[in-house]
Amino acid sequence: MPTVAALHQVHKRYRAHPALQGVDLTLNRGEVLALLGPNGAGKTTLVKILSGLLRPDRGRAELFGRDPGDHRARRLLGMTPQETGFPPTLRVREVIELVQAHYENPLPLSPLLARLGLDRLAGRSTAALSGGEKRKLAVLLAFAGNPKLALLDEPTTGLDVESRRALWREIRAFRDRGGTVLLTTHYLEEAEALADRVVILHRGRVLAEGSVAEIRAMVGVKKVRFTSPHPPSLPGFEAIRENGTRVTVYTSDADALVRMLVTNGHPFSNLEITPVSLEEAFLKLTQEKT
Amino acid sequence: MRLVGIHLKAELLALFRVPGFLIPSIGFPPLFFIMFAAPNAANTQVANQLTASFMTFAVFTVVFFQFGVNTAQERENPWYTYLKTLPAPPLTRTLALLATGLLFAALAALAVALTGALSTPLEINAGTWARLSLALLLGAVPMGLLGVSLAYLFSPKAALPVANLIYLPLSFLGGLWMPPEILPRWAQSISVTLPTRHWAELVWAAVRDRPWPQTSLLFLALYTLAFAALAGWAWRRARPE
Repeated sequence: MPTVAALHQVHKRYRAHPALQGVDLTLNRGEVLALLGPNGAGKTTLVKILSGLLRPDRGRAELFGRDPGDHRARRLLGMTPQETGFPPTLRVREVIELVQAHYENPLPLSPLLARLGLDRLAGRSTAALSGGEKRKLAVLLAFAGNPKLALLDEPTTGLDVESRRALWREIRAFRDRGGTVLLTTHYLEEAEALADRVVILHRGRVLAEGSVAEIRAMVGVKKVRFTSPHPPSLPGFEAIRENGTRVTVYTSDADALVRMLVTNGHPFSNLEITPVSLEEAFLKLTQEKT
Repeated sequence: MRLVGIHLKAELLALFRVPGFLIPSIGFPPLFFIMFAAPNAANTQVANQLTASFMTFAVFTVVFFQFGVNTAQERENPWYTYLKTLPAPPLTRTLALLATGLLFAALAALAVALTGALSTPLEINAGTWARLSLALLLGAVPMGLLGVSLAYLFSPKAALPVANLIYLPLSFLGGLWMPPEILPRWAQSISVTLPTRHWAELVWAAVRDRPWPQTSLLFLALYTLAFAALAGWAWRRARPE
């Protein structure tokens, strides 16, 4: 599949703080790639490098075969602005037309506004928009120039369910027209709904990469906790941590673990099985990798 | 070039929709002129000099703040960061901002000229207007560059007070509010070293139909080079990477 954009061993640091530490990433045409990671993982830095706002300290970034800092590389790139910063003196239509003027073949405006439910707001000043409306306008701007690659930074954070579905529809339709999407998100659900491929970024490194199913299996671990008077022997299970008599096991197969405890006749009490949060899954993955 | 026009339009729309910015920048110089200059403009020669001085003051106000404070605020604003990701050649926005500043400065100067024509025995012929405009432009360049330097040297919050701290003495001591001959002696000795003074000298020579004083041309050229170097250095220093 043809490559739309790529990072090769990209390093970037801000003063003493390393933001990216040797990241490799490839975006293939027609895919939706979700970039997941906790705050401070380096997602924003990665997006800034791909859009030419920052240069890597080491390594190389490539956008449609050129340096992203070259404006010609960005002719087919669309991107969401931070929704906090729209010029308050301009109207919604003026903002969209300003952005569209930069592209050779922009999308017709009215249907686009209608699809995102912004048609009645076109004449309104951006200062008068609600948070959700600003978020929708931000996503609309990413698509307005009819790009081949859209970088969507947390496109649906803080939106109600209906608006979120409308944006998801728009993103899928873009992909179906042959568009490529890189989206950053906090929501695993969003990645599951949209992404063909998921990359998990943690502390400036790619921690895991794979299809949604593969990632779900990786982060689909359960946390099993119980109290036991002596350390249990559980062949095949790892990451057993004891805290006094309390035992914690992270496992993707909680059923097998419990079966083993019972068949071995190992004494236990206060059994708890809980799904781990995304945060915990990240932590677990990091501990394994370092 | 088409993109420059589009950015220019957006900038102008933004400016004209904020009366809090427009009214002081365009309105104050004519107001000061009416209060302090017009009563002293007894004959055409004085009227011409005072009008030209206040036109210089008006242009100074616009280019200094337009480029100084405005650039500082742009640096903070995520929208302008976003505009940098759009596929436009690198100088597009700079050119649009420059054009906005020049248009706006011309408007401010015109407001003073009209006020002078209505309230004093002002008499300036077409050829002199052309030389006056050129003189105004020559000084606008270094003062705009000084504004840009301040924007990059100071944080966006500090840029405005610092700009005011420089702008008021430069206007007063440069002789833009009153002829330098009536300034106190200590002020006169500072005045002859200031860029605003040498700018004003060119402007006065234009309205008196005299040749431009060589010293002032030289001073202004040196200030232009110095402020360009300062702005370049400050810009490089302020870049995030």
